[in-house]
Amino acid sequence: MKLLLVEDDAQTAGFVIHGFRERGHVVDHAPDGREGFFLATYNAYAVAIVDRMVPHMDGLSLVRALRSAKIQTPVIFLTTMSGIDDRVEGLEAGGDDYLVKPFAFSELYARVNALARRAPVSTQQTVLRVGDLEMDLLKRTVTRGGAAIDLLPREFQLLEYLMRHADEVVTRTMLLEGVWEFHFDPKTNIVETHISRLRAKVDRGRATGLIQTIRGSGYTIRAPATAP
Amino acid sequence: MHLQRLLKTASFKLTALYVLLFGLSVAALATVFYFNAVRVLDAQERARIQSEASMLRGEYERGGLPALLSGIRERQRGRIAGGLDYTVYRGDGTRLFGNLPKVPFEKGWKHTSGPPDGDEPPGQLEQLLVYRLPLSNGLWLMVGDDIGHIRELGHVIEDMSIWGLLLAVTLGVIGGAALSLAFLRRIDSITRTAEAIIAGDMARRIPLRGADDDIDRLATTLNRMLDRIGSLVESVRHVSNDIAHDLRTPLARLRQVLEDGRRSARTPAEYEATTERAIREIDSILETFSAILRIAQIEAGTRRSGFRRLDLSGLAESLVHSFAPVAEDGGKSLSASIAPGLVLEGDAELLTQMMVNLIENAIRHSRDGAAIVIGLRNGPAGAEFSVADDGPGIPAGERERIFRRFYRLERSRSTAGSGLGLSLVAAIANLHDAKIIVSDNHPGLKIVIVFSQAKSETARERPLSRAAE
Repeated sequence: MKLLLVEDDAQTAGFVIHGFRERGHVVDHAPDGREGFFLATYNAYAVAIVDRMVPHMDGLSLVRALRSAKIQTPVIFLTTMSGIDDRVEGLEAGGDDYLVKPFAFSELYARVNALARRAPVSTQQTVLRVGDLEMDLLKRTVTRGGAAIDLLPREFQLLEYLMRHADEVVTRTMLLEGVWEFHFDPKTNIVETHISRLRAKVDRGRATGLIQTIRGSGYTIRAPATAP
Repeated sequence: MHLQRLLKTASFKLTALYVLLFGLSVAALATVFYFNAVRVLDAQERARIQSEASMLRGEYERGGLPALLSGIRERQRGRIAGGLDYTVYRGDGTRLFGNLPKVPFEKGWKHTSGPPDGDEPPGQLEQLLVYRLPLSNGLWLMVGDDIGHIRELGHVIEDMSIWGLLLAVTLGVIGGAALSLAFLRRIDSITRTAEAIIAGDMARRIPLRGADDDIDRLATTLNRMLDRIGSLVESVRHVSNDIAHDLRTPLARLRQVLEDGRRSARTPAEYEATTERAIREIDSILETFSAILRIAQIEAGTRRSGFRRLDLSGLAESLVHSFAPVAEDGGKSLSASIAPGLVLEGDAELLTQMMVNLIENAIRHSRDGAAIVIGLRNGPAGAEFSVADDGPGIPAGERERIFRRFYRLERSRSTAGSGLGLSLVAAIANLHDAKIIVSDNHPGLKIVIVFSQAKSETARERPLSRAAE
């Protein structure tokens, strides 16, 4: 995929560009907000990675300008401020996600992928399917191979999040934010605990496990047939 | 030396004004009193004279001149001090009886003076008031009295007023000066305290007099302000000290990891392991920094503007559902009793973090098999969120200190953690005007957060799922 990176710090830019190119993606780099706006207007990017503090036009203004120009490229903000108000500000300006520097590359990669593959808003799915696992969002039921699986509300939410991001790597932080709405790092292994319980209910006694752990990155749910 | 300052004090100026006003009112009062007293005495005098005169006229009309004269004589015989003087004239001006000085024959009142009779001030004539009444056959009856005593009363009142005025002014000036001095001394004590604090004695406070007056209230407020400033200064100093000390440890560890790697790592796998360890150390340092920043941001209080009404019960309940399996996996049990329908104006994100920190603290620092109890109830002072365990607890002397930044109990120094979790809890509680109570759970530790601002929304069924767990 083709990505735009608006970042003035050469080292961070190099780190991000290197990471994506290594995985076979194209990254255009703008060292300031004006150039970033220019590039974003004339090229179609899958995702724009925008640092909030860049010269000439700061990240927030850049995204506001893009949105008012009807450019809907998904945007993930990068910031050194671990401020609690900043995230809300970024989202209100039209950003889609938010990552605090410094970050692990795997975290950024997973989030960019999630944004790039995000289904258009119009497709309101009521049933999610991964292999023989089926989730009915209206009836709030989950079945695997026709057999009902009884889930607690939190487990249902967790599975829904994974299934909405099927075939993608979902990081621990993404789960904490998306399922628990925790915007901080808990000290206990709450994600691991719930994943292992969910996995016990979904995958126990089955020949193929759908929920997989990607070491050092996070989790993914994928049907065996599409597995690489 | 102090005189000039004394004259400038507000208290002295007020006293002077007060003395002036008091003096003026004393003078006004005396004047009114004087005129009224004179008027009343004069009216009494006239009524007495007039009634005597008309009684004598009655006697004259019944019995002629002899009756009149005998009536007068009779009155003069029974004369007591202050009795009246009577004189009868014929129409041609010849005096038939009496010794009042001659006055023109016109009906009505006349002031006149006569020879002194001894009760006047020396050198003055007797002051007389005469009533003239024409009788039939051209006779004139004059009835008069010495009115010197009325004037004398006026003088007495005048003297009293002047002395009273002098006394009031003197007392006022002395009292004012004394009050000003007392006031000045107390202002001076505030000034001296401030000077001492400027000079570096941060612990100095303004002495209180014990009276619940304006100055004591001012002093109390100033002292509280000084306490607040003191604690802020103290906390800034702590933070910088603590950052210096507490970050030295992980940085030193990081250095050891890297040095160790350089010395002994030989294979790529070994180098990778070193890098992993170094990244972990750096992450924990970064986490500490962001926790410090977060606490500072919360303490700045700007988040209050984003307070929303939120369902405290729902929040607590969902956290219990999330953490019960975590505790279970750690070989501990987590149970809860959450009162429904408690709402609060607050910041959901921060409150979540506060509760999570408390719950995780209990899970991480309790013994194996510990029972952790989460509670939310509508207490007398507001909603009480509590986390209790039956672990080793915290010695009474250390309970207050656990909310300090970087504070860690000796026994938990070995476990991971920045020592900022409970400071964050304290900051968030403070932001929500909540009080933290740390107590002994016999055995174990119990931390209660009392939200005085929370309200109970009873008799309303919440649509929240109540999944049994």
